[in-house]
Amino acid sequence: MARARKVFFRRRKVCKFCADKIDYIDYKDVKLLQQFIPERSKILPRRISGTCANHQRPLQQAIKRARHLALIPFTTD
Amino acid sequence: MRTYELMFVVDPRVSDEDVVAMTAEYRNMITAGGSTITAEENWGRRKLAYTIDKLNEGKYVLFYVASEVGKTALPEVEHRMRQNEKILRYLTVRTDEDLTRAARRQPAGGAAPSVPREDHDVLPLGIDTGADEEDI
Repeated sequence: MARARKVFFRRRKVCKFCADKIDYIDYKDVKLLQQFIPERSKILPRRISGTCANHQRPLQQAIKRARHLALIPFTTD
Repeated sequence: MRTYELMFVVDPRVSDEDVVAMTAEYRNMITAGGSTITAEENWGRRKLAYTIDKLNEGKYVLFYVASEVGKTALPEVEHRMRQNEKILRYLTVRTDEDLTRAARRQPAGGAAPSVPREDHDVLPLGIDTGADEEDI
């Protein structure tokens, strides 16, 4: 709280998978994966989403699998 | 015991009966090869996220397969799928390693929030650990 006085108030980012205790990231769970692919359908980087490294890795894998099966787009045009 | 998921996307112009027939054929191949099918899902017609061969829809079928090490027909099944031009996409994923790892992290066995992993529960009361001073 005290350090927020400086510039802007910045909300601390928490890894969604740690918070929700999701340990197996399923490529079939399109709804979940969609939260990590913004408009251009790129994979949301950790520095934006706050996902921890241990979860970003399987997340990335799941997104790529879902893309292959056309559950999720590669790009939007 | 290894577990796999095999998902494939069929051309939507193939009739539902033919999809069922194809599914049965692959199911027989898998079981004949010594694996067992633990579950099966038919998602039916679903919109594709992007166009494949000028098609915008596909019919999704999913197998959950379990087999002993070295006793699986999945490579042959994949080979057959590759040759079948009615199959737009297929994907086999080995799931046992990731699932056991996930289960180990949640000893409750899947039911997520039932056992919270709060380490400071173990500490005796009256000791100020400063755990309350979380910065949000």
